[in-house]
Amino acid sequence: MQDFLELIVSAAASGCIYGLIALAYLLIIRPTGIINFAVGEWAAVGAFGGVVALSTAKLPYAVGMAAVLAAMFAVGWATERIAVRPLVERGAPVLSPILALLGMLVVFRESISIGFGPDPFPVPYPLGFERFEIGPLAGSRHAFFIIAATAAVFGAAWWFFERTLWGRIFEAVAIDRRAAALMGINLRRVAVLAFAAGATIAGLAGLLVSPNISAHFLMGLPLAVQGFSALVIGGVGRVEGALLGGLLIALAESLTVRYAPVPPGLAFGVPLVLLILFLLFRPTGLLKPRGAH
Amino acid sequence: MAWWRWIAAFVLLSAVGFFLGGYTSDVYRKLLLWVTLALGFNFLFGIAGQIAFSHFAFYGIGAYSVVILAFHFGLPLPLAIPLAAALCAVLALAVAIPSNRLEGFYLALATIAFSQLFIIVLNEGGDVTGGTGGLASYRLPPAYDVLPGGPWFTMLIVFVMLATFAVLWRLDRSWFGRACRAVRDNPEAAAAMGVDVARTKVLAFTLTSTFAGVAGMAYAFVDNTVNPPTFSIENSFLLLFMIVIGGAGRFAGAIVGAVLLYFLPLWLSPVIGHHHALVFGLLVVVVIVLQPRGLIGVYDALARRWRGRRPA
Amino acid sequence: MSRGALLEVRGLTKRFGGLAAVSGLDFDLYEGEILGLIGPNGAGKTTTFNLVAGAYPATAGRVSFAGEPVLGLPPHAIAGRGIMRTFQHNRPFAGLSVLENVLVGAHTQFASGLWSLVAWTPGARAEEDARRRRAEALVEFVGLGERRDAEVGTLSFGQGRLLEIARALAGEPRLMLFDEPAAGLAPAETVRLAEIIRGIAARGIAVLLIEHDMRFLLPLAHRVAVLNFGVKIADGAPDDIRMHPAVVDAYLGDPGALVGAARRDGGAHAPA
Repeated sequence: MQDFLELIVSAAASGCIYGLIALAYLLIIRPTGIINFAVGEWAAVGAFGGVVALSTAKLPYAVGMAAVLAAMFAVGWATERIAVRPLVERGAPVLSPILALLGMLVVFRESISIGFGPDPFPVPYPLGFERFEIGPLAGSRHAFFIIAATAAVFGAAWWFFERTLWGRIFEAVAIDRRAAALMGINLRRVAVLAFAAGATIAGLAGLLVSPNISAHFLMGLPLAVQGFSALVIGGVGRVEGALLGGLLIALAESLTVRYAPVPPGLAFGVPLVLLILFLLFRPTGLLKPRGAH
Repeated sequence: MAWWRWIAAFVLLSAVGFFLGGYTSDVYRKLLLWVTLALGFNFLFGIAGQIAFSHFAFYGIGAYSVVILAFHFGLPLPLAIPLAAALCAVLALAVAIPSNRLEGFYLALATIAFSQLFIIVLNEGGDVTGGTGGLASYRLPPAYDVLPGGPWFTMLIVFVMLATFAVLWRLDRSWFGRACRAVRDNPEAAAAMGVDVARTKVLAFTLTSTFAGVAGMAYAFVDNTVNPPTFSIENSFLLLFMIVIGGAGRFAGAIVGAVLLYFLPLWLSPVIGHHHALVFGLLVVVVIVLQPRGLIGVYDALARRWRGRRPA
Repeated sequence: MSRGALLEVRGLTKRFGGLAAVSGLDFDLYEGEILGLIGPNGAGKTTTFNLVAGAYPATAGRVSFAGEPVLGLPPHAIAGRGIMRTFQHNRPFAGLSVLENVLVGAHTQFASGLWSLVAWTPGARAEEDARRRRAEALVEFVGLGERRDAEVGTLSFGQGRLLEIARALAGEPRLMLFDEPAAGLAPAETVRLAEIIRGIAARGIAVLLIEHDMRFLLPLAHRVAVLNFGVKIADGAPDDIRMHPAVVDAYLGDPGALVGAARRDGGAHAPA
């Protein structure tokens, strides 16, 4: 039982990472309709930002994290200005920004590869990785840190969408772009904010996961796929869906690795199979969109 | 297109193979295979409008199938080859039919998942697939010894490439090609005009994926080795970049894109080592922002200006 | 009437949730006849149109075309039976030229299978040539002759509408469905449009026409059916419909719409 609870904690931590990536997608898809596969590489950039700020420059964790997040905000902003805005302004077909972002994905990844080489880079733990217990639950300190950080982010996201004006604005643009523009909403500002926020959250995910798996220039794509799977499974329209999907995927993955009599390599196929099943049979995901009409 | 042009192309391209040494011969063969893949993917993505990242997976399915059937199960080659092709077709159909209700990005995602699952199956396939190291200790039986390594094998690959080209070219210029484009541009209107949208999408996917599989079968004997990293999603991205940069939807664009991106790493390596993907990513962004029709679009625009005519 | 109707609609009903958009609709349409379907906003015209075109399933009712039931068939099968339609908001295939767009309309007329295409048999070649010539003729017929190889993005709105028509005609339909064809057209363009539609009916093709613009419709149609709140309230010759009390009542907000139409043509236009 103890074993199982520890597994739950570590799966929850992984699920939180996937959920954060899914949230990064969501923040961009909802107001702009653009699917940004580069979120995985954004996470990688965040992780390597951690390498620079925390391992190399040895800044205190809070300072380093703030620096990385600020940098990610700028990266997101720049991505939108370079690869997305010129296309949207021109009225290019829907596919174009997505392809451009795929191009950016590769640019990010290769830049990291050129800058840091092919080897993995360690990133320090904020609180260490020693065993920590809360009641019956036990896991590494870092796992609890991840869960706490994710809860904070999702709490903020929920509050943003439910309680703030800007959240309403995002929703309005998501529901009907033209009507929103007619109401005086500045679509450009919404788009650039969406990208900047998405990049920040993806960067945070990368920063959080990197102490466990080390920063590596290839870490982006698997995260992107897992994040997108989390979104599809949880439900594309809802913030909560992102987290739910992430947790489900991580749980399925961990349970399979631990308890199922299949080689561990195959266990990584579990999220993929889940994704395919959901795409075929329940593409809207588990949670219905808010205010479904 | 006049049949004699195809014959002439076949003779010329094959003849080249007789003048190339060992290394350049290998480069040439792989170039031909990339062009074959690009032509097929161009039809699937550029003409039929399906964003699928499974093309390279089918290339791998073809390669591994023929090797496994011929050397693990010991089937004679004349049987293994058609059987492997049939396997590709059946698998393509199995992927195409459920995928057909997935639009745009959902299809992309499903095909990414499919490709990654394929790699996982290869890695975990034990003796059958050779696991992470792949399969290498096979050779064509002595009866066929005249083929591999020789210019005759190059000729076979030229044939595969031109056959793919010819079939897709013919189909593009027929009601089927128009139907694919119509489904790409406006599926609802296409249905109103009598196009069976589902059937068209499934056919386009199955056909092009099977062609990729057949190319894969040829690939298996180029290096006499098959291993998982070759068929990764990275190469599917590269294929997509070739099409986008060359000019999506145009046969010439696919060829230009494939040739350019194939040789670019070789030309760029003194400057940029093996980080050529950076240049590709940048090129893709530049192309999409500046000239979405790709290099062929640039050529067309220049040709029009040179002829002094305004676009029709 | 001794000959049977080409299109027979009986008891057509469509409910969206609790709302009956169309209820118990009956009408007939004969070859070579132009039937106008009119009614105030929300009357159920578009729903009726979409049901006949196969866009969504009906709740109840029967539709037979040339004696065969067609209700509930998917759109591509409906086209295969010889029923073609235009779209109110032009929907050209952006990546194809004008002529190629029209050739897509001819999709149901191609019989060669994929193998014949790949082998480029004489039969396949002949079919392609024949359909291409026919498409060129249709492009001429609607007046887009010089724009034959143009990209559809370069067409004006009115030209795009003409393309819709040529494309639908390429399917050699026996029934043409027009969805507000005059919408957005300049007056001169509507005159040309009316000529084209008369020409189509003159060839024996049945025409079902939804339209808001009474000045365009009433002189053109042979017969008019009026819907209100999903129910047919009148069915007859345009002149009779104009005066029909229920119809005038339905258009309560705009009785001048009908009167204006009468005054404009002064009864001089008899249906062709």
